[in-house]
Amino acid sequence: MSVGNSLYLVAPEIILSASGLLLLLIGAWGGFKSARLVSILAVTALFASSAVALEFLLNPAFAEGGDAFFGQYRLDKFGSLTKLLIYISAIVSIIIAPRFFDNVAGGRSAVMRPEYPVLIVFAAIGMGMMVSAVDLMTLYIGLELNSLAAYVLASFLRNDERSAEAGLKYFVLGGLASGILLFGMSLLYGFTGTTNFNAINQAFESGLSTGALFGLIFVLAGMAFKISAVPFHMWTPDVYEGAPTPVTTFFATAPKVAALALTMRLAIEAFGSQIAAWQQIIIFIALASIVVGAAGAIGQTNIKRLLAYSSINNVGFILIGLAAANQAGASAMLVYLMIYVAMTLGSFVAVLDLRDADGNQVEEISSLAGLSKSRPGLAAAIAIFMFSLAGIPPLFGFWGKFLVFEAAVQADLILLAALGIAASVIGAFYYLKVIKVMYFDESADVVVKSDSKSHAVIIALCALFVSPLGYLLIPVLGNIADQAAAALFWAL
Amino acid sequence: MTEFFQSLGMTYEWAWFVATISGILIIVLPLLLSVAMIVYADRKIWAAINLRRGPNVVGPFGLLQSFADGLKVFLQETIIPSAANKGLFLIAPIITFTVALAAWAVIPFSETAVLSNINVGLLYILAISSLGVYGVVISGWASNSKYPFFSSMRAAAQMISYEVSIGFTLITVVLMAGTFNLSDIIMAQKGHIGGIVNAYGLNPLLFPMAVVFLISAMAETARHPFDLTEAESELVAGYQTEYSSMSFALFWLGEYANILLMCALNAILFWGGWLPPIDWAPLYAVPGIIWLLLKIFVFFFIFSWVMATVPRYRYDQLMRLGWKIFLPLSLAWVVIVSGYVMIRDNGWPL
Amino acid sequence: MIQVFTFYLFAVLLIASGAFTIFSRNPVHSVLWLILAFFNAAGLMVLVGAEFIAMLLVIVYVGAVAVLFLFVVMMLDIDFAELRAGFMKNVPLGILLAIVFVMELIFGIGAYQAGKIELADTPVNPAREGATNIEAVGELLYTKYIFLFETAGIILLVAMVGAIVLTNRKRAGVRPQNVSEQVARRPEDATRNMQPEVGKGVEL
Repeated sequence: MSVGNSLYLVAPEIILSASGLLLLLIGAWGGFKSARLVSILAVTALFASSAVALEFLLNPAFAEGGDAFFGQYRLDKFGSLTKLLIYISAIVSIIIAPRFFDNVAGGRSAVMRPEYPVLIVFAAIGMGMMVSAVDLMTLYIGLELNSLAAYVLASFLRNDERSAEAGLKYFVLGGLASGILLFGMSLLYGFTGTTNFNAINQAFESGLSTGALFGLIFVLAGMAFKISAVPFHMWTPDVYEGAPTPVTTFFATAPKVAALALTMRLAIEAFGSQIAAWQQIIIFIALASIVVGAAGAIGQTNIKRLLAYSSINNVGFILIGLAAANQAGASAMLVYLMIYVAMTLGSFVAVLDLRDADGNQVEEISSLAGLSKSRPGLAAAIAIFMFSLAGIPPLFGFWGKFLVFEAAVQADLILLAALGIAASVIGAFYYLKVIKVMYFDESADVVVKSDSKSHAVIIALCALFVSPLGYLLIPVLGNIADQAAAALFWAL
Repeated sequence: MTEFFQSLGMTYEWAWFVATISGILIIVLPLLLSVAMIVYADRKIWAAINLRRGPNVVGPFGLLQSFADGLKVFLQETIIPSAANKGLFLIAPIITFTVALAAWAVIPFSETAVLSNINVGLLYILAISSLGVYGVVISGWASNSKYPFFSSMRAAAQMISYEVSIGFTLITVVLMAGTFNLSDIIMAQKGHIGGIVNAYGLNPLLFPMAVVFLISAMAETARHPFDLTEAESELVAGYQTEYSSMSFALFWLGEYANILLMCALNAILFWGGWLPPIDWAPLYAVPGIIWLLLKIFVFFFIFSWVMATVPRYRYDQLMRLGWKIFLPLSLAWVVIVSGYVMIRDNGWPL
Repeated sequence: MIQVFTFYLFAVLLIASGAFTIFSRNPVHSVLWLILAFFNAAGLMVLVGAEFIAMLLVIVYVGAVAVLFLFVVMMLDIDFAELRAGFMKNVPLGILLAIVFVMELIFGIGAYQAGKIELADTPVNPAREGATNIEAVGELLYTKYIFLFETAGIILLVAMVGAIVLTNRKRAGVRPQNVSEQVARRPEDATRNMQPEVGKGVEL
């Protein structure tokens, strides 16, 4: 494997790194004024990387994929597909940012700084590495790159107490999770003598020593923190609530996709020969996430906190696909992830569009009362997202849940599927509560009209995708997801 | 030396142990003696530049002044402030003193005379000198008094700042010599300039780094004009304010031992160490240690000279010099020198 | 012989100072114990022949990270009475942890009696014969691991950007100094040489 070929395979990361460095220079020299230019260029760079990822995904010449840098990084359809999702989320998070930051504190001081798009671009590099990592070291470096950028982004509104608190909480707990992850990785390395996923898998074929089992558990625990699955979810509501809304949009989509993809790759490529060792853990995490996500959301009055619990809940459903530990499950997870990204992006952008007459963000659910009269379009879109997140049949969110449960049933995890379905009924309650407030409560008349075209376009696109029209895309999405899932299972 | 002690009938282990201990003593005792004399020299040079006479009462030409001072300090009462953190208060000067001596372990005094010829010698020196800050910081905190505390804050920031540029400067030398071993670095300088001069410092590529290193060395040892940590007009005596008797003397010895170390490093890294300045056979008849001591003294003279003539920096100026001038300069120089070394070793890339 | 003695010296000191790091009530003492722990870890590294790593450990952790750490901790205003007040509140958690640790200890002894742990013993990247530490590290870092090395650089860049973004703010009403202007200033621009008559004073 020549270095030139390796460089070719990591083209999306190279495009992003080069443009990230360049944008940093522009931002450093241009100051606040260059924020707009830097944002536009960052979006362009992300689009370029998406185009490359799409080429890798669709061009039959890359169907086999390939290992880069001596087996530390693998280009395959799984990586390209998840990268595409990550880049799209990053693009949306950049596009929606200027409006939010410029209106913070009633627009008294512009806080949109050129570092915001730059940090998102760097985070995207890290996430790209995460989904393509086939070596524990690549995994860790990608994860750290993403996390460090995320810590800063969470406290980006540094004069806002909640934002600073969110950043600090995320940093401290994230640091702890990284420590747990590293500890597990060092155990894995010690007991298998390698950091390469395939080699770990081969070493596991001859049995799993207690030390390696501990390593596996620690690594999974660290990953569970990153995907905010239940025993390690405590940070999620606080961080999601405190962080600036565009950043929350980013957190709820891109890093989650990356961490889930990484968990899939770890579980299947690295620990695939010892499925029994981690299957119960995943089942427990999945069920606990579904239940805690649903139960925790019920008492929430802040819509960002509600969406945080909703994302915990959804991660639980996605993990059911992993618990199935078969190709159908992986494919179902990928489809679910695509739908999840669309639903989450849509609902957060919709939240971002809620402003009162002074231009302040509206985050209290009670303030949404009467939204169906003042902003019927937005209310309809939020209703669609809520129904879809709840998985109510005519909407596309149902399809993801259906596929996941189908995979679980195929893998003889009927009890898990049954419990999951039962819990999703509890979950439907709080989504419906939001809709009830919007449509049936006495009008509070807080939210005023917004003139943002970009928000409207993004919300409309996401709403269209998760509406029943999305079912038309099933052949395409299913096909791509199947191919990507197959790429994950090549070693088994 | 181990063989010598073995020939006296010791087992290998004991011979090694005794040899090491005596090696340490052979370095430390003359070092302490020279610290005493160098303090005298410092005061004499300073006085001469100020048109004063300097110490001239104790012994011939005042030569025994330092010993008299040492005796006086030794006979004083050791005062420990009641609010001080006793343990740390007493440990701090010991740290400063020990660390200042420990770095000498890898300094080559001549072709063969080096206590420990390890191949990461330069890194060892960097590591040890980065420990020096602890003595100052701990003493400032443990004194539980405002001025020492300010002083230790200043010291911590200052030493870290200049360590960065010192590190990069050392890297340029390492790149040029291709080794971290101090003896090998000296040998690599033999006939470096046109086969005549034994010095990296006169190489136009390394001369700026020699200057940066000299200035950084002054800042690293908190010597004039960078002695913000004990700026008497602002901080009484800085971190030493609460100290008396032997604990004060240890600070004082450690400080001068450090200054001598930095002079020795200047001589070794850029000016040929124990090699004679010119690669000419008759000069090699003079023992290497004489050349090294001469060079050390020249640098010490520069240190004193600067002390007597340059006013003290302001703290923000100090930080500015370290972070905004030396750091970018030395960083750029690492790139330039590594580019040069690559072309020298592999030819022009195109 | 000497190696064994040195190993136990460093190892015991390392563990002891690690324990003291946790048990010290005074955070400054904790940091100082931590520094001692780093130092002994470096000693162990020298013992296994990784002198480069040992030096890096001292330079980076002891020389820079811990100093900054100490810098911050020293400035804390610690109320020891308050530290002790929280003790009773945490007793149940402490007892729980103690039980967990005792269980671990028992299991650990059991596992020890069951035989030694089988670690993998094939090095992934065997070093070239006769390469010194630094050469061996450099040969791997700049060839096989170049991708990770460069990305690690980006991580540091992100950390730096983050620190600047979160702390650097423009203050109003500050007059920053223009150093080149200050340096360019000559005595004749700022001073006048005068011979005032007695009792007349000077005009400014």
